[in-house]
Formats: sequence, C-alpha cells, structure tokens
Amino acid sequence: MTQPAIEISGLTKRYGEGDAAVDALKGVDMIVQPGEVVGLIGPSGSGKSTLLKCLGAVIEPTSGRMALAGETIYDNGWKVSDLRALRRDRIGYVFQAPYLIPFLDVTDNVAVLPMLAGVSNAKARERAREMLAALDVGHRAQAQVPQLSGGEQQRVAIARALVNRAPIILADEPTAPLDSERALTVIRILNEMAQRFGTAIIVVTHDEKIIPTFRRIYHIRDGRTYEEAGEARAA
Amino acid sequence: MINLAGRDILYGWGKFVFTGLGLGLLIGVTLSMAGIYRGLVDDGRVLLQNGGADLWVVQRDTLGPYAEPSSVRDDAYRGLLGIRGVAAAGNVTYLTMQIQHQRGEVRVMLVGFEPGHPGEPGYLVAGRPITRAHYEAIADLRSGLKLGERIRIRRHEYTVVGLTRRMVSSGGDPMIFVPLKDAQEVQFLRDNDALVNERARTAANPAFNRPGVPGLLEAVQASQASSHNVNVVMLRLAPGADEAVVAREIRRWKHLEAYTRADMDEILVAKLIATSAKQIFMFLVILSIVSAAIVAFIIYTMTLNKVREIAVLKLIGARNRTIAAMILQQALGLGAIGFIVGKTAATLWAPIFPKYVLLLPGDAVLGAILVLAISALASIVAIRAALRVDPATAIGG
Repeated sequence: MTQPAIEISGLTKRYGEGDAAVDALKGVDMIVQPGEVVGLIGPSGSGKSTLLKCLGAVIEPTSGRMALAGETIYDNGWKVSDLRALRRDRIGYVFQAPYLIPFLDVTDNVAVLPMLAGVSNAKARERAREMLAALDVGHRAQAQVPQLSGGEQQRVAIARALVNRAPIILADEPTAPLDSERALTVIRILNEMAQRFGTAIIVVTHDEKIIPTFRRIYHIRDGRTYEEAGEARAA
Repeated sequence: MINLAGRDILYGWGKFVFTGLGLGLLIGVTLSMAGIYRGLVDDGRVLLQNGGADLWVVQRDTLGPYAEPSSVRDDAYRGLLGIRGVAAAGNVTYLTMQIQHQRGEVRVMLVGFEPGHPGEPGYLVAGRPITRAHYEAIADLRSGLKLGERIRIRRHEYTVVGLTRRMVSSGGDPMIFVPLKDAQEVQFLRDNDALVNERARTAANPAFNRPGVPGLLEAVQASQASSHNVNVVMLRLAPGADEAVVAREIRRWKHLEAYTRADMDEILVAKLIATSAKQIFMFLVILSIVSAAIVAFIIYTMTLNKVREIAVLKLIGARNRTIAAMILQQALGLGAIGFIVGKTAATLWAPIFPKYVLLLPGDAVLGAILVLAISALASIVAIRAALRVDPATAIGG
C-alpha cells in the first residue's frame, strides 16, 4: 500500500486571540493519494484559502497534523526546519491568475524554480522546455508573457508548478478566469499530469462546470471538511 | 540563477532609461556644482601662478591685493630690490570695472603691469605682447574681445593686441592687462569736473594758498591729480632664496606685508572663496539628498509594483537575499545609468558656463562611488518593503 501523498488530521487554525479569535479551521481531515486530483469546494469564508495556506506552508496551523508522502511536516508545530525549501521542492502552486513573472520569458518563468533549487541554468531550462512541451506550449517557449493567451499562461503556470516534480500541487481556483472550454482543458491537463507524474493535486474551486470532473470532492464549511462519497459521485 | 534585476531592466528598459535620464540630469547638476567649486579654486591658483611671482608685497595689515584693498607706493620696489634674494620686482594694480566694447559691455578685472616684470600675463594664445607705453591691452578670451578690437576704458580707447586664456579674477571676471601708468590713471585719476572742483577747493584753503609761498598751491594741486600708488608689488626671487626669510625681512624693515605663494593660496582658497565654497557645498549636500530621495522613491515605487511577483517568488522558494539582490542591483543600475548620463551632461554643458568649470577625473570617480553608495542606501527602504511581502498574498482568499 503506497503512502498517501497528503494526510491531514484534526487541523485547526485560529486567527486572533480572546474575544476577537476566529476559528477558520476547526479540525480538518483529508487524505489524497498520489496521482489523484481532488476538488475542494466551499463558500466564501469557509476556510478554503486558509487550508491551502496551511498546506502550502505559508501560514502555521494552530494544531493538528499534516504529512506529505508519509513524512510528518506538522504535528502541533512545524517538523521541518526549512519551510522555504519545503515549498520549493515538494509543493507546486497554481493560482487563480497565472502570476507569471512578466520580465522573464516563458522558459525562464518555468526554469526559475529549479534554478532557485540550485540547478544550473542550462539544465533548468532543459527541464522547463520538456515540461512546456508536455503541456503543449513548447512552441511558445521563447515568447514573452504578455504575448500568451490566458489559457497558455495558465499552462505555463502549471508547468512551473510541475517542473520540480513536486509530489503535491495546490491549485487555487485555476479556472476562474477561463471560459468553459479552456477551464475543462486545464482540468484535463491537471488530471494527465497527475497520472503521468503521480502528483497529488488539490483544486480549490467554485467553478460549477469543472466540479463534475472530480472523482473525489471535499466540501468545506465553517472550517470543517466533508468528503462527498465516491459512490455518489460515480452515480 | 538568472539575473532577475537585469531581466526586469531589459523588460522595462524605456521606463528605466528615462528614469535614469532624469536622475542623470540631477547628478549632472551635482557634478557641475563640484566642478564650479574646483573651477573657483583653480582660477585662484592660476591667478597666482600666471603672475610669475614668488612673493606678494602689500599694504601692512591687509590681505591684499585680491582679498582686501591694498595701496603701496609705486617706488617701494626700489627698496625691495635691495633685499637679498629678490631678483625682480613689478608693480601691479587691480581694478574690477565695467568696460564697453563694440558689441556691448563686459565686467572685467583691469590689471596694470610693467612689461618684462612679475605680474605680466604668463603666456598669450594670440597676438603679441604690449610694446607701446600707452593704450594697448591684452584681454582674456572669456571677455569676448577680439584682436584689433578697440575698447573704451574711462577716458581713452585701447587696442587689443594680445589674447590670453584662463586669466580671470577670483570672482571669475576676465582680466584685461594694460600698461601700469594707464591703469593707475584709470584707478586714481578723477574726471575733469571733479579736478576743477578740487583745485578750486584747494585754492580756497589758506593753508595751501599762502601768498608768501609761491608754487605751493600748484604742487598740492599736481599731487591731487596724479597717483603713485599700486596695489601690490610682485617679487620674483633668485634661485635658492628662501621666500619665508625674504618675507620676514620685508615685514621687519619695509613696514609692508609680504605673502608667500602658500600664504596667498590660503587667502584665496580659505578666505576669499570660502563662503562661495560653503554655498556650493551646501548645494552639493542638498542635491545629494534629493538624488538619494529620488532613487529611493523610484526603487520603492518599482518594488511596490512588483509585490505580486515578489510574493510568488517567495512562495516558490526564493531566498530573501535573492529578492534583496534584485532590488539592490536595480538601484545600482539606476545609479550607474544616472551617473553616466550625469557625467556626459556635465562634460557637455561645462563650456557653456560663464565661469570655469573644472571636472576632475578624481571627482568623477568619487562621484561614481557616492552615487552607487547612495543608490545602495536608497534601496534599503524598498528592500525592507519587499522582505515584508507575505508569500501568502500570492494565494487568494
């Protein structure tokens, strides 16, 4: 039995103290297997972004446990000393907007991640070009960011998230600015990449048109997660 | 790792270059201010050097002839020539005045000198030396006068027979050299009406118009209409003579003040142009602060425009030093562009200034170091802002 890529249990996050305290997460449980694309759905203020930030190691949870590929990274306190390296090497991010760096060309937007990890420029660019080709934007490798369409930019952003072979990708409403066709294309690409690289992907979304594409969905409401039964979705 | 700063500069090169251009013009003004100060000092030193004197003998208790009025009898040089170590002496007068020429008027320092003696212009760039006893002049190029041009100085017209370069007063006024006697007349001889009036006053004074003393009144009146004073006697010393010893002898026995070249340098630089120098220094300080503030503001604004990119970079694992280096390099790049533009601008517009602007290579190197240091300091605010960017801001919600 393989280790779950993501394993969260009893995760809480409290903002503020005393009377002003707000419990954004009240005991989240979640398991995502390698190669699985999971939807995370909930209304505004339900705690989606907080969960993503905790899992992305950019804010510290208040309590609970998080493990990536069997390694506990948080257990009522961080268990890794270098969160920056954790984010760089083990977690990929896809945002609502692509947030590509406008002063870098397409290749370097992707290559910057391995470069930050200490890979040589030539090697990093080679990896970037491979990943861009895998996402069908290899022909735009030399283009500047403003020359790309919205869909192409999002593919480049996905390439950047995948280029370091991160076992986990956190996608924060990646289809929000796209039309139905492009949105479905992005989800198809994420599924393909998850299958191809064994990457676990959590997609936060409100997007009704892509929700049916998920095999598993976690609903989050009032800081708690509820898994939608697999049988129900299959039906 | 790729050079993020360089890429950002290349991406927005137009904005960056135009910002650097604006900053460069400010730096050019700053460099010009330094050049004006250097020019002031150099003008003073050239003034001392071109006279060919080792000692300046002036009225006792004065800092003359450049810093204070000084009056010395024009026969004092005879006694000075008798002092051991003095090889040559020359009487010189200085008078700042407005003169008229064919195309207008110009403010000059009129110098009366004795050809072949200390005080004559060091070299000519055109024309010939003064050969006639009267009504010939040598003018500095800055006066705008041309060879053969006739100029009116008080009662007489003079012909420009020679031209010099870099012969200006400590105030930057170009010099015009005329024979000593002419200069004395210009400086001391009053107009005809004033002379007639003075003669009448003297004649009405019983002390000077005694019936029993024939010739007294005429002698007094003649003394009032002529002058035998000069402003300075310049001395050239014999080889091996100690200027300090000679100066001490003059002070002790001749009841005059004697200044060595070092003394005159001190008077010119530390006293005469001290206020101007402080003024320029204050401008330099203010311009440096303004430049630093502008660089800081520009870099800060550029950084704030990249908050999202910085947050993404931090989220995907960029170190703080990578972000800081990007901003620092941009600030240094802006400073470098500014300096190149400023140095070029200062060099191009220096000849247009009415006063001599001396741009020393050493000052340029110091300026470059200061610009880069100021740019680096100015980037601190932006770096602090960038380091405060929370990577979580890249994730919505």
